[in-house]
Amino acid sequence: MTSIDVQNLTKEYGTRRAVDDLTFTVRPGRVTGFLGPNGAGKSTTMRLVLGLDRPTSGTAAVGGRPYSVLHEPLRHVGALLDARAAHGARTARDHLRVLAASNRIPARRVDEVLEETGIASVARRRVRTYSLGMRQRLGIAAALLGDPEVVMLDEPSNGLDPEGIIWIRELLRRLAAEGRTVLVSSHLMNETASFADHLVVLGRGRLLADTPMREFIDARVQPSVRIRTSDATALKAALARHGHDAVEGDDGYWTVPHARVDDIGRAVSAAGVPILELSSAEGTLEQAYLDLTAAEAEFTAPYQEA
Amino acid sequence: MHFAPVLRSEALKVLTLRSLCGTLLAVFAVTTAFSALAGVSDASDADYDPLFTALSGVMPGQIAAIAFGAVVVSSEYQGNGIRLSLAAVPQRGRWFAAKLAVIAGSALVVGLLTSFAALLAARAGLGAAAEGLTAGEQARGVVGCGIYFMLMALLAAGLTTLFRSGVATLSTLIPFILVIAFVIGDAAGGVTEFLPDQAGQVVIHQTHDGTLGPWTGLAVTAGWSMAALLVGAWRLRGRDA
Repeated sequence: MTSIDVQNLTKEYGTRRAVDDLTFTVRPGRVTGFLGPNGAGKSTTMRLVLGLDRPTSGTAAVGGRPYSVLHEPLRHVGALLDARAAHGARTARDHLRVLAASNRIPARRVDEVLEETGIASVARRRVRTYSLGMRQRLGIAAALLGDPEVVMLDEPSNGLDPEGIIWIRELLRRLAAEGRTVLVSSHLMNETASFADHLVVLGRGRLLADTPMREFIDARVQPSVRIRTSDATALKAALARHGHDAVEGDDGYWTVPHARVDDIGRAVSAAGVPILELSSAEGTLEQAYLDLTAAEAEFTAPYQEA
Repeated sequence: MHFAPVLRSEALKVLTLRSLCGTLLAVFAVTTAFSALAGVSDASDADYDPLFTALSGVMPGQIAAIAFGAVVVSSEYQGNGIRLSLAAVPQRGRWFAAKLAVIAGSALVVGLLTSFAALLAARAGLGAAAEGLTAGEQARGVVGCGIYFMLMALLAAGLTTLFRSGVATLSTLIPFILVIAFVIGDAAGGVTEFLPDQAGQVVIHQTHDGTLGPWTGLAVTAGWSMAALLVGAWRLRGRDA
């Protein structure tokens, strides 16, 4: 079992605390979404895990050992930090060959990951001719090169086209299903909601939440019910009898807050209200996230990352 | 981690960047061309030194060697590629050692080939004017010149690791080499001969009249390079990547 363990991790740049006494564990077999506003410390945490930045205090370990003592680390941990890291004058294939050589990864893996990330046909072109989306795919190819148990991606959907976004979603789900540990940072809520099972949320370097995604949403956003009817008066009367209230939206739909569709459906049909449409509106990750950050107002202040 | 795969990876980095191969080619082309040119020009100077005349292509050629050392390192800092390199090889000391071995090895091989070719090219022009050179002096000049190229490339690599910028290195080192010795020249008395370039170039002169001999001179240059590499390594070890 290979998890990422962060223990009381703190990183200061001068007087600014980028990461503040952070403790969490990323477990295998699920996709963990790493959320937080820009400058919350997501990228810094990833660099600390990879031993690139030195922590002020605390530890980060992969599979119980610090990254820096791993033998041939690319075979254990694959990371995408920045799609611009590949030298523009090298071809994508050469870029991967150089990385593979240092960790004694067989050359056939280079062709495999190029194929897997869909850039095999342009692999002999120089990286500087690539679009951001293609560079992003190359960065993901580099992360997958050593067939690692732990995959850590910083904003992987940046610059990807719609097909690319669907592809990355399926890739992440598959990696987790294979039992790998997957940590993916993002500031796109709908995107994260589509692949994450678990969430770690940061604000100003501090841990705000470390919970399963469903719990995170349900704890913060009450579900509501949307109804379209031809008889608004009857609807309101029926709802009032059950202690519910309905608000009319601009689009002709009525919204019943804090209610479950099973209860409302039974109540209005028992009262004989003509129903044209009835649906449940589940809370979204975006609503839950905004609710959390509104509660922690200080964390929403924009803070540019170093 | 084993050293050999890291070394292989670093060698592959040089081979897969056209600009780096081009810089090495420039060391050879520039040095040989200027030496050949010196061979056919007038040699009636009062302090005419046939060995230095034959190897005078080193003066412009060393700029290319410096550029090579600087660019091998600075290419890592482009777009923070260093993070990728150090994530692949987290033992920074080992990574740096492999990088330096590749710089030293390739600069030495190219340097030896270059100085040999330069000597041949110049002697073709010099003819009788180079008769006074013994085989030992010529061998010393060729080997010493190869080592000199290597040391200058390493000096640049060390400074680039310190500055994390090739531009900073080139704009420090090149004026230093081209100008300082001439400006402070005689005023500073015997100090100039201990500058990295002046000390190292004793080996490509037939005769020398200063404190430093051919090999002690190279040792002084090696000391400068070592100092730059140590400072660079210290910076690499301590800092966030």
